[in-house]
Amino acid sequence: MSDQLVIEDIKNTIYRASLYLDECRWADWLALCHEDFYYAIRAFSPEINYDMTYLDGHRADLVSMTEMLPKHNSDHSPLARHTVVYTVDVNDTQGTASCVSSFAVYQTQLDGINSHVLAGESNIFLVGKYRDIFRIGTGQPLFLQRVVQLDTRRLDKGTHWPI
Amino acid sequence: MPARNGKQWANVPGKLGSGEYVDSRIYSDHAIFEEEISKIFRKVWMPVCHESELPDPFCFRTTTLAREPIMVVRGGDNVVRAFLNVCPHRGNMIENRPSGSFEEGAPSGAPKHMTCMFHAWQFDMKGNCVHISRATEGYQDRLACSDVGLRRLRCEVKYGGFVWVTLDDGIDQSVEEWAHGAFDCMQKSLDAEPLEVFHYHKAIIPCNYKLWHDTNSEFYHDYLHYHNRITGFNDSYFARKNIGFGNGHINVGSFEVQYDQYEGFESREELSFPYLPTNHWEMIDFFPGVNFNLRGSALRCDIMTPLGPDKVMIEFRGLGLKSDTPEERLTRQRHHNSIWGPFGRNLHEDLLAVSTQQATMSEWAEKRRILHGRHETDADGDPTIHDEEGMRHFYKEWGRRMDRWPGNPEMSYQKGQEKAA
Repeated sequence: MSDQLVIEDIKNTIYRASLYLDECRWADWLALCHEDFYYAIRAFSPEINYDMTYLDGHRADLVSMTEMLPKHNSDHSPLARHTVVYTVDVNDTQGTASCVSSFAVYQTQLDGINSHVLAGESNIFLVGKYRDIFRIGTGQPLFLQRVVQLDTRRLDKGTHWPI
Repeated sequence: MPARNGKQWANVPGKLGSGEYVDSRIYSDHAIFEEEISKIFRKVWMPVCHESELPDPFCFRTTTLAREPIMVVRGGDNVVRAFLNVCPHRGNMIENRPSGSFEEGAPSGAPKHMTCMFHAWQFDMKGNCVHISRATEGYQDRLACSDVGLRRLRCEVKYGGFVWVTLDDGIDQSVEEWAHGAFDCMQKSLDAEPLEVFHYHKAIIPCNYKLWHDTNSEFYHDYLHYHNRITGFNDSYFARKNIGFGNGHINVGSFEVQYDQYEGFESREELSFPYLPTNHWEMIDFFPGVNFNLRGSALRCDIMTPLGPDKVMIEFRGLGLKSDTPEERLTRQRHHNSIWGPFGRNLHEDLLAVSTQQATMSEWAEKRRILHGRHETDADGDPTIHDEEGMRHFYKEWGRRMDRWPGNPEMSYQKGQEKAA
């Protein structure tokens, strides 16, 4: 497969993952991830001058975390991503590709506070970049690593959901 | 009892006494809020940051306390000092960045000085004014550097390296006296070796600051948290004591958390804080809006900045040992953030609950009674974890300082006490 086709395949996978995450289809999202998948949400704090890791774990951790969501009380206001893939760098020798995407996540209020007044209102929830590494060369590109690098650091109520 | 009509709804439910509920207007009234700023937040010691946020001489950190801009600096002599972040000339904010260093000069100032960018007045790390641009030409002998030092604030570094500041020059207690023994449960752990902040995030939540403090002060809300139900809720959990201290502070006693009962979580044994028994959990709710939560391997500290009757900024910090290896630090962060981070299991639930609580208490809503009447004691008669003594203890101090009875804020505190008696 030419590099161009591989790149298209990877872009499609990133966009498909965005849709699955938007729709809370956790199992479908994780099906796009390699069994060694590592996920982290990070941000740099200029207040404490520190690279922070807000959430991290491997595929198995994410499986148990998402499967337990129904046991938790959560804000179910949908989160929708606007993702743009900026760069895809293929490394044929290592069978990997590194990608950088920019994203903005919008939250449309449902049951977060007072649904009568607020439901239906959309706000920017957070912005940042996805820094992904894919395993390629064995058919469907699979996420090997996703680092969600947040620009937004005022996270208010936060969320139980992966970004 | 069936659902109540309006009259029944307005009555005190059951046989609760007048100190066992508060009036919802204390969470929504603008006049009460303004009084709280002047009578409480301008008069108490508050931690504003941690010394690890000022790691080297000439480092600074900016913050606010009771709406006043504050700057905390570490001098060349390594002493941490606090000042109003206000230039004595035209009232400009001297430093706008959240943190940084004065080691290098500002564009219009000298190295190792605080410089107001507006007219380039300069101050040393002790707050002395050391340069007024064209001073003699403009002020002749009417005003000199010695007349216009910064406004210094009383400041102490105490309890694990937190930087405490008060706006009240006349406060008659040191931080230790102000704490009144509330830190005894964890001071040995906090002061065993230097700590370092590894986590910081802030949340602006549409709720009154007291609703957040209430939530930190009562554990009955553990029903909200699947994590706490599954890892707690055993005999030793229900035996945890709720202990009040002077000045409105409380402790919630410790027990051993069964972390491994929550799928994917692990024991904190490997990285226990010094002197903290394995997987134990101590908590201090510090009047009027600070929480210290030492849980297994990590310390959490919440500092509240009230922004309005229905708005509070909460700064969340996570701390570990400065001596941590990178691997230890990552594990500590994971332990902290998997529960208390912005994507953690518990914090989102707590913040959701107080937001929806405030949503029923707008300034224009009818007043409601918010119940603080649970009494759940052990064999010695001491309040235990689901007793609401923590909130009642807080509101005694609040009422005394505000001279308002929390159950009816139009009534003086003394009159409320007499009526309650």
